[in-house]
Amino acid sequence: MSDPRLRGRAPAQQQPALQPAPPPPPPPPMEPPASLDGANDAAPSQEPQAVDSDFKLKFCTVCASNQNRSMEAHLQLAAANLPTISFGTGSLVRLPGPSISQPNVYKFNSTTYSAIHQELAQQNTQLYTANGLLNMLGRNLQIKGYPERFQDWVPGKPRLEHKDDQGYAGTESGVVDVIITCEERCFDAVLEDLHNKGGRMNKPVHVFNVDIRDNHEEALVGGKGIRELALMLNEAAAQEMEIHGASGWDSGGGNARAGFDERVPDILAAWQEKWPNLPAIWSLAWF
Amino acid sequence: MTNTHLKHARDLALTDSKYYPSLMPGVLPLIGPNSGASLDTQRFGADFLAEMFASPMWSSEAKQPIALLVLDTLKCYLEEVHDRAIVKGAIQAAASVYPLVYRHTISDPNDMQHWKTMTEIKSNILNRMNTAPPGIRICCVKFVQQVVLVQTAGVIDPRRPDHSDISLALVPRDHPLLTYVQLEAEGQGLLDRLLDIIHGDHSDALLVTSVLNSLGVLMHRRPVSANKILNSVLNFNPLKLANSPMTPKNKVNMKAIERTTRALLVNVLKRNGVERPNDPNNGRIQHFLERMHRMRQDIIEEASRKRPAPSEPTDGLDAAKRQRLGAHVPTPPTATPSLPPGPVSYRQLFTVDPENAAANFDVKMFQDPAIVAQILIPVLQSVDEKKLLDACNVVRSRYLALSQSMPRQPPPPAAPPVDEDEYEPDDYEPEDEEQLANRLDSVGDLAHPTPTAYELPKPPPLTPEEVQQHGELAVRRTFGMINELEEKGKGTKGGFNRLAGSDYGRDAWITIAARLASRASVGLDDPYDGINDEFAVKSVKGNLSISDTIRDLLYDYVIRDWKKRIDVAVSWLNEEWYNDTILAQSAKSSSKASTNGVSIPQKGNYYRCALRLLDGLLPYVAPSDKGLIRLYSELPAVDYEIIAKVKKMAQDPERVSLATQVLQYLHMFRPPVKDIVVDVTAELWRENDRAKPKAGALLKVWKPEILQEGTSGEGGEGGEVKTEGANGVTEVQAVA
Repeated sequence: MSDPRLRGRAPAQQQPALQPAPPPPPPPPMEPPASLDGANDAAPSQEPQAVDSDFKLKFCTVCASNQNRSMEAHLQLAAANLPTISFGTGSLVRLPGPSISQPNVYKFNSTTYSAIHQELAQQNTQLYTANGLLNMLGRNLQIKGYPERFQDWVPGKPRLEHKDDQGYAGTESGVVDVIITCEERCFDAVLEDLHNKGGRMNKPVHVFNVDIRDNHEEALVGGKGIRELALMLNEAAAQEMEIHGASGWDSGGGNARAGFDERVPDILAAWQEKWPNLPAIWSLAWF
Repeated sequence: MTNTHLKHARDLALTDSKYYPSLMPGVLPLIGPNSGASLDTQRFGADFLAEMFASPMWSSEAKQPIALLVLDTLKCYLEEVHDRAIVKGAIQAAASVYPLVYRHTISDPNDMQHWKTMTEIKSNILNRMNTAPPGIRICCVKFVQQVVLVQTAGVIDPRRPDHSDISLALVPRDHPLLTYVQLEAEGQGLLDRLLDIIHGDHSDALLVTSVLNSLGVLMHRRPVSANKILNSVLNFNPLKLANSPMTPKNKVNMKAIERTTRALLVNVLKRNGVERPNDPNNGRIQHFLERMHRMRQDIIEEASRKRPAPSEPTDGLDAAKRQRLGAHVPTPPTATPSLPPGPVSYRQLFTVDPENAAANFDVKMFQDPAIVAQILIPVLQSVDEKKLLDACNVVRSRYLALSQSMPRQPPPPAAPPVDEDEYEPDDYEPEDEEQLANRLDSVGDLAHPTPTAYELPKPPPLTPEEVQQHGELAVRRTFGMINELEEKGKGTKGGFNRLAGSDYGRDAWITIAARLASRASVGLDDPYDGINDEFAVKSVKGNLSISDTIRDLLYDYVIRDWKKRIDVAVSWLNEEWYNDTILAQSAKSSSKASTNGVSIPQKGNYYRCALRLLDGLLPYVAPSDKGLIRLYSELPAVDYEIIAKVKKMAQDPERVSLATQVLQYLHMFRPPVKDIVVDVTAELWRENDRAKPKAGALLKVWKPEILQEGTSGEGGEGGEVKTEGANGVTEVQAVA
């Protein structure tokens, strides 16, 4: 339980443990990020959380395989008390294998994290412990049951069967207000898929991309970035709900007058200044 | 209290959507604005309605009756409540409900009340569209998109009737409430409003991207409007914001618009790739995406160029390393070796750098001055002006020194800059196109210092053979074009108002070719030559006239597919005949005037060409080709020789009947040649036994006396038939 990625599972064990030795570099090896943007690895209780009010934005995190980046972000957002679901946009779940040409490939929506964990542990415990895969899968199976594919998702279909997932509260109706992807490829895939789904629900959704390289360290940093962005968005949305009635409609000025949606570019710009190493894009799309 | 009830109701509906219809009567009074419900309850209600009608878990048929129930509530939300969350939810719900009420009204033309309420909701939302806060405007955008969707004609494919697709196609023309034309016009107008948004202010990317993201489905499901939308998108500049200050927010907005546009177009492209791989729009989209990509690169480059300069000192340092910073480092004047003492050659005088490889290059190697010119022009364009001036100065000073030291030598002629350049010691690196273009732009001024008019030398006169060669080439190209034009088929003819050769179609070119062949060279030849003209085709060698080349090609052209090209043959031969006739007339008048009139041969090009054409064509005529009759009937003039050609054809027993049909036709419809026809028929009757019955039948009507003569005078022929028949019988018998 010394791995920082597992802290979300164990809010009870909050000794600010010494920074554990980082897991051996996973393939492909990446340089540790030059700057961590001052994000320190504090215990979850010290991290900001969403105020428990009636209104919360609902989030959806997306990466290629719904394993590393989107799951790290899922964990962070759920830990911040935000309703969250997560997806992958790839055709299959791809995990590193014994060599670069032999990836481990699984089907979306049916293969559970624990099944993958079991299989990899049998295959080569040492290798997959060394490259952090088993750790990652161990974390994932605590968050939700199985990797889900974005393109197979039917927005608006109730997700009552996902009751035990982290960040479930609020996502029962199967729609979200914000989608955050972790790679431009996924961002494009999401916009494309929303075009294909045809916007039949007439519900707006803010789609963000926060570019994160696919390794454990970057996923951790990126997850923090996403968490901060999500909290900023949630705060703005909650503020919009506070100004109501005739007074909110007609009076006020500046930010107080501006609603949530129109503040999004400002919020993203401010966030981007703070997180220059996580280049972001945004678009308003339709479910 | 009510909230808990409502939440329970919602949870129940989430477990199974079939509860929605039964829940509605209970929920509606609680959430309505007139129920005195709290703001939170009303917000919940608006969201609940939006969620309910958006749910994919129950069909639109089931939703339709429920939609009618909520109209009043939605209208009240929109008209009486001033809360963003409620209005947003209400508009979203209205967007889902509009198609349902629309379809209900189509099937129930008498239900005026619900449609009226829906129309009021619609106008309320449309009124907000330009003034509401952006968060609400995007919901209006989606509502408008739904209106456009249902008020545009959908795809009516009887093989795949899509009953769930609610479109203008469902509206009957005689509907009392819904006027087809009005709905269509409104749909188009609203689509224009949507498209105006993307061409408008980009500082609000929220609105622009929301429109872009709603266009994809319109293009997909409403092919009628797809082109209009695509054209609009392709005409818009996603990087408009690049011109405004690059604030962080503008950067976010610009990226948002650019990426959203790209996603939309890529989606269209992928869809087209499956459904319409040959759509010409695909290329345009590709082009647009590439251009957008380049523009973005440029903008990024520009932005990165604006980074603060590095802090190191930039003045006057190592020239090799610091060139790009633009620091003005004076290049030390290259030491030019002085001339060797004693007499020097021009070459030595002009060679600035004897070490350079270019100095040892002998220009005489190029035999062809054109190559030198080809090389020189780019070289000249790439010459560094300063270096050129330096080199000039070096040469000038050398020259000065020489002229001072040497007593009165004839001065070296002022070398044109071209020569100087030959010895320009620089190594010229090949430049990329852009640099070259930039230079070309700036080179304009350089060209001015020598304003003396330069005239290109006159080309050497072409030899007669070359003239013919080039002429032939031109003619062949014309025919190449005629061949290509053929596929397009013929347009309508303008009758007498048509000007020949004015529409650049196949016929026009044929006319031009035929006239070129027949008229162009008339009068240019020695009149005595005309006597031999008939044999000219045979002696083409050395014949300079282009006419026969064209005639050959016309001949080939007709022969290649004579059945389809009878009209070409006829119009060509008409031109020939006309020209011959005109020539004959003018010759007549001139021969009257002149004492020693040259007799123009009776038979001009027309007969030669017509006979040749018939000779070439008859072997290919099938027994059933009625085209031949047409050709004979349309020939401008026929004489004995031409008609006699059918005799040859009749030697083939299968084509006897065609031959007699030709004769019969000519006899009936070309009275002037009646006599010739009769003669030919008689000959046929006499010479060709197989043709005898048919020819005999004709002659019986036309000139029975010939038949008489056949039986009495030249009885042998008639007898032969019988003999042959008898012979045949005997043979059969013999065999038996």
